[in-house]
Amino acid sequence: MDEQIRNFTAQVLDAAQRAGISPAEAAVSSSASFSARVRQQQLEDYTVSDRFQLTLRGRWQGRIGTASTQAMDEESLALLIQGVKESAELTETDEQDDILPPEDRYDAVCNYSEALEDVSAEDKIALAMQIDERLAAADARIQPDAAVVATGSETFRLQNTLGLDLSHKSNMVYAYASCLAKEGEAAATGFKLLWGYSMEEVRPFDVTDGCVQDALAKLGAGRVTSGARRVIVRNNAMADLLATFCGVFSADNAQKGLSLLLGKEGSAIASPAVTLVDDPLMPWGMASRPFDREGAAARTKRVVEDGVLRTLLHNRRTAKKAGVQTTGNAAGGGRVAPSNLYIRPGALTPDALTARMGDGLLITELSGLHAGADAVSGDFSLLARGLEVCGGQIVRPVEQFTVAGNFYTLLREIEAVGSDLLFEGSPIGSPSVLVQSLSVAGQ
Amino acid sequence: MLSESICQAVLARALRGGGAFAEIFFEDTRVFDMTLRSGKIERAAVSRPRGAGIRIYDDLRSIYVYTCDVTPDGLLRAAARAAAAVTESRGTGRDITLHAQAHDDIHPVRTSVFDVPAQRRADMLRAADAAARAVSPRITQVTCGLLAREQRVLIANSDGLYTGDTRTYTRLTCSAIASDGAENQTGADNPGALMGFELFEERVDPEASGRKAARTAVTMLDAPYANAGEMPVVIAGGFGGVIFHEACGHSLEATSVEPGMSEFSGKLGTQIAAPCVTAIDDGTMPFEWGSENIDDEGTPTTRLVLIENGVLKNYMIDRLNGLKMGMAPTGSGRREGYAYAPTSRMRNTFIAAGSDDEEEMIRTMGDGLYAAQMGGGSVNPATGEFNFSVREGYLVRDGRIVSPVRGASLIGKGSEILMRIDRVGREMTMGQGMCGSRSGSVPTNVGQPTIRVSRLTVGGK
Repeated sequence: MDEQIRNFTAQVLDAAQRAGISPAEAAVSSSASFSARVRQQQLEDYTVSDRFQLTLRGRWQGRIGTASTQAMDEESLALLIQGVKESAELTETDEQDDILPPEDRYDAVCNYSEALEDVSAEDKIALAMQIDERLAAADARIQPDAAVVATGSETFRLQNTLGLDLSHKSNMVYAYASCLAKEGEAAATGFKLLWGYSMEEVRPFDVTDGCVQDALAKLGAGRVTSGARRVIVRNNAMADLLATFCGVFSADNAQKGLSLLLGKEGSAIASPAVTLVDDPLMPWGMASRPFDREGAAARTKRVVEDGVLRTLLHNRRTAKKAGVQTTGNAAGGGRVAPSNLYIRPGALTPDALTARMGDGLLITELSGLHAGADAVSGDFSLLARGLEVCGGQIVRPVEQFTVAGNFYTLLREIEAVGSDLLFEGSPIGSPSVLVQSLSVAGQ
Repeated sequence: MLSESICQAVLARALRGGGAFAEIFFEDTRVFDMTLRSGKIERAAVSRPRGAGIRIYDDLRSIYVYTCDVTPDGLLRAAARAAAAVTESRGTGRDITLHAQAHDDIHPVRTSVFDVPAQRRADMLRAADAAARAVSPRITQVTCGLLAREQRVLIANSDGLYTGDTRTYTRLTCSAIASDGAENQTGADNPGALMGFELFEERVDPEASGRKAARTAVTMLDAPYANAGEMPVVIAGGFGGVIFHEACGHSLEATSVEPGMSEFSGKLGTQIAAPCVTAIDDGTMPFEWGSENIDDEGTPTTRLVLIENGVLKNYMIDRLNGLKMGMAPTGSGRREGYAYAPTSRMRNTFIAAGSDDEEEMIRTMGDGLYAAQMGGGSVNPATGEFNFSVREGYLVRDGRIVSPVRGASLIGKGSEILMRIDRVGREMTMGQGMCGSRSGSVPTNVGQPTIRVSRLTVGGK
């Protein structure tokens, strides 16, 4: 398949130039995946795949057009050439994502494990079986749902007709378990996911134990009364919130009026406790890569430093418009996106953070982020569950309430940042944070 | 497309070492998407997803291999990879004879978007943009999109089925931002149908869509935050049907019911909703966004009564879960594309029209919330806990609509809210959504008349 892809890519770039599309760029992703899902000691689902996608961009009559395909045939060749021309003819924006020669230097970064590619399907299935078996034996109140072990790998290659030819290979393994805990009328679901680059990083005990604890901790949850409360947003929930609102740091969004951070570089937009880092060069980071989707070299940067906005995330087009250098965050399709983005951890352990809060709510889970959060206004109103904290001690689980607030305000009201930085199956991570006040709606 | 003889060979290869059933799903799709923002066409692109998925039932286990390599050799290799994972030897080396099966096209397309001159497609977006901006000088940004998708599928299986279909989807998306300098508020309208470009002649006026999005944004800019607490809620029709979709629909899919991970498992024939509630999942409605001719397993689509006068009548069942449950499939096997094995999914799902008066509902509700437009939501089927956002809400005091309110969300448990519906209005309308689940993102309609829920938790400030 590899050779076929190389030949087809060369053919596409050649045909583009002959058709007058110049310069031209081919972004080619080829990926493979494996997934095994076990339930009640049966292999319920077994899925393997290999995929390919080529996106052609090129300049035609002064403007850049784009088209893509998953099929390597004559029909695709015609579709790509025709598609790029039509796309260029339709596009009206003056500033466009240019196609440029390579930079002088790219830093190396590794998130690919050769050894992981050698792990057999049998070993991955056996791991899922072990997770399921442990889950079934864990506690009489636990009904296992599923245990899943999956691996994926991707090779991304970016080539253009100006001498640029870059490629990056990445892979990963993840394992998760889900279960239902029942006690009398009370029911709650549990979930735990671990990921990494070797089977040692996804040990069955850690997955099962995490899943069971997650479910049992929710049983017998009560309701809370409505009002403003001091709140700790736990690391996983804060990472979800950050992932939902990370678009506010995109210069593309800001320049189009979709973020309120335009021109705020140098001013305080968050509490001094907050430092936000985007690091595409993080060793073994999920989104690590030496170059971005337009071939700009990856750079590590503090987006927010001690509460002050240092930079938005840029591609070359938004950087040119703002009169700055690209931050290497081009994401394809003209978009800008973070790589590995996280709030830098502070000094307080989760226990110390809880003690510091005194009375309030520890939010352990937020739901409905795709619907209850408005990335443009920053407003959110989300279903939550968590733990009630009195006098610095966790007293009982609580559920069926909402927390409402505004992301921009929340950044300013972060009183302290925990030491427990977590990336839970996502390149966007966070430690737990203590927030002065959020609106809670319950009974 | 793939010939019968190639499919036959691939299916035979898949079952060479055993297996109860084999299926091939092939698709060759064209997608066109175009975005207009800041008054200019910012992106226009065609793409061609193509690939095939081969599934074997190894007893009741699902083995799925998908690939972009759809040459005969590539497909035979994929079949061999799938076969290598089979553990049972029953059914070894079966002969497979395919019979081409035709079906009626109940959603014939008149004009493919791909045949419409590019500038005419762009004109639809320009019209929506101009109408939205004309609503108020406080509209600071408008984003409009056109999405056209022509999915050609071919499905063949070891029972002899060889069939295919073309599904043509066209959708307009409009979102507007109103700003007073310090704050932004948004509004949106995203109408679509199982139609070609005739969508814009028969169903969708781009200007009306743009205005609707802009009016919501402007209304919300002036609105205070909603009060939080428990209260009666009246939910308008159209996209308001998302409440049933989330609170109940997902929990009636075999994906959750079969493993006992639904609060409605084992509840067939019992009262799960108030007697005024009848709910239907219907794939046969001509040209509707969630309709089909056949599902992604080749089963003809159906109209399925889920709840009748509050009593649970049917689950939505795909082929494999049907085998596990000992029940017939309901034409509900759907998937985003070849990269997903199918599972049970909703189509056009709605609460049927009732007999209550819409004005009376509000007049007699006391203090509460009127949800004129809903955003999206999600549910945990195992516990029934749902949440969704109110895009455009109004405060009701003493039976009268007083003022718009922003930032409201509704939360609760499906089994509770269904029992608390105490009014169902006379006219059912639907809205379009993309529903995400284990087999990816599929087009679905949600719908209902205006309904009233006697008590719900409203999140706000």
